[in-house]
Amino acid sequence: MISKGGRWLVISYVAFLVILFLMCSTDLIIREPEREIYQIAVIIEDDRSDNYSNFRKGMDQAAMEFNVDVHFITLYEKADADQQVELMEREQQDGVEAMIVVPADTEQVYGVQTNVPVIFLRPDTATAAGSGSIAIAYDEMGSRLAHEMLDEIPADCPVVILTDPGKQSSQERLFLEGARKVLADNGRKTEEVTRDEKNDSGVVPEAAGLQEKVALLAGNPEILTETAGLLGDYAEAAAGVCGLYGRGATVPILNALDRGYISGICVTDDYSIGYISVREAVRVLEGTESSPVTVESYYIEKEDLRKPAFEKLLFPIE
Amino acid sequence: MRRKKCRWKQMLVYMIMAGVLLTACQGVGKEEQKSSLRIGVSLYRADDTFINNLRSMMEEKAKEYEREKGIKVTLDIQDAKGNQNTQNSQVERFIALECDVLCINPVDRMEASGMIDNAMTAGVPVVFFNRQPVEEDMNRWDQLYYVGVDARETAILQGEMVVDLYAKQPEAVDLNGDGVVSYVMLEGETSHQDSLIRTEWSVQTLKDGGVPIEKITGGIANWERSQASALMEQWLAEYPDTIDLVISNNDDMALGAIDAMERAQVTGVNVIGIDGTTQGLEALKNGSLLGTVSANKELYASAIVELAASCALKEVPPEEYPLTDQKYFWTPQEILIHNFEENP
Repeated sequence: MISKGGRWLVISYVAFLVILFLMCSTDLIIREPEREIYQIAVIIEDDRSDNYSNFRKGMDQAAMEFNVDVHFITLYEKADADQQVELMEREQQDGVEAMIVVPADTEQVYGVQTNVPVIFLRPDTATAAGSGSIAIAYDEMGSRLAHEMLDEIPADCPVVILTDPGKQSSQERLFLEGARKVLADNGRKTEEVTRDEKNDSGVVPEAAGLQEKVALLAGNPEILTETAGLLGDYAEAAAGVCGLYGRGATVPILNALDRGYISGICVTDDYSIGYISVREAVRVLEGTESSPVTVESYYIEKEDLRKPAFEKLLFPIE
Repeated sequence: MRRKKCRWKQMLVYMIMAGVLLTACQGVGKEEQKSSLRIGVSLYRADDTFINNLRSMMEEKAKEYEREKGIKVTLDIQDAKGNQNTQNSQVERFIALECDVLCINPVDRMEASGMIDNAMTAGVPVVFFNRQPVEEDMNRWDQLYYVGVDARETAILQGEMVVDLYAKQPEAVDLNGDGVVSYVMLEGETSHQDSLIRTEWSVQTLKDGGVPIEKITGGIANWERSQASALMEQWLAEYPDTIDLVISNNDDMALGAIDAMERAQVTGVNVIGIDGTTQGLEALKNGSLLGTVSANKELYASAIVELAASCALKEVPPEEYPLTDQKYFWTPQEILIHNFEENP
């Protein structure tokens, strides 16, 4: 028979155990460290993600390291700034905590009022917009490529600039502006040719009929890939071309460079850009100071493909 | 006093019961129409040309679906890089990130059970594609689907392509005119069911179609262009002026064989592939590839996306994609052959 005092002792012991259990189960005593998952939307200016494969590798790596859930979004139509603005608004409404945006049109997209931090991948170094900033100077990239072209192609070789018929992205516009300026300053004859989307053979066969040899400068990676393919197919046209140049580092472009259909390309370290953009977004979210980053571009020819420094840049291993 | 105590106890019991009832009722009526879908996609290898083409098409179809239905679709695409463990982790991550449905292109079709276990536990439907899990796994749950092509049909179409050409122009196939079509075979991965079936049935169709064939040699190039190129280079050196036909289990390996022939400056050998990849179609256009069997990739991709969306929304699978055994959608295929008259 338990005494009255003993009974109270048992009751208070049981009550203590219950309270202890409740405190543990409600994280009052043992609290596991909370790992917040940041929701970040990445909205690019393209309607396909093909040119962003290395960027995505870097982005995914950073997402794992910094505990980020990344939504990678492409546009319905390439370089459609209106749609990009709509998507930015939609993502905010859907509760993303930050956005990384490759602006389709800098003037229009920079002006969007947002209530979450935005990291812009700026195609120039002149303007400042967004919470953090990663700048890739496409005008400098264009002028650098044009200088390399002038060094390599014969002095009397005119340059045919290949562009898309549709609206150009800010990247393409600035890249071509930079190239055009250098070519004009050096008195080089240029001609603009718009890609004929209905006739996929493009400008290359026309080159076969020209009296003089021409150098080709592609405005964007798609045109570069397509033109390189055509040069491979039309040996006669290839004979009329004294060099094909452009920008981008997709696998088809690198293969074409390796096979000699492309003479030289300008590239950026897309893996690092993807990684840094996510890292900077997290920094802004955590209230850490985010310093502006300027990304360099590199000129690459066939011989450079297997140099260790460029190999790491062009074929990043996750 | 005692009666009062009893009444109080009764009241307490009623209050608890009412509480339980209210809690249970809380979820009822909350089933709303989803306004967004998150689809986790895991690819066995993103650098496989066919898979890469399919991925691009899936992205397009997801956008089309989003526009038509007004439901936001987020495709979370991950590359398993040929590693089943990586793919298993990706599936766990997709589930942790609350994906509504998974689209999986398995690394190893025999090892799908772990992923199925996880998906079943979380109640997340799975649409497998391109690599068919074993039937026992597929039968474990009614929320498992497969979208692919009928490998036997593919192989028969590939064989028929040569049978028809041989019937019309035997000299176009039997290049040295010795009465025998000497061929080499480029095979895909040994663990892939399509590889075995394509190899067996394409040759069988040639025999059944009366083409006098003789196998010179064959090799496994694991669906890869570079491996096929290395094998072909070796065969061209070992069997000069002997090979009439290269039969390849896919377009990438066929292109590898073409690369080797270009390097060795060998022309005229017929090469046939399967898949109808973008690069394969370019080779077909310029005549370096004799023919290929192409699945309707647009239909293939939209079947994956729409089936996945209907699963996530708990709707009946769309009628445009009739399912065999309520699980399998077989994408139609066609023969694409180089037109020498239009593109000599």
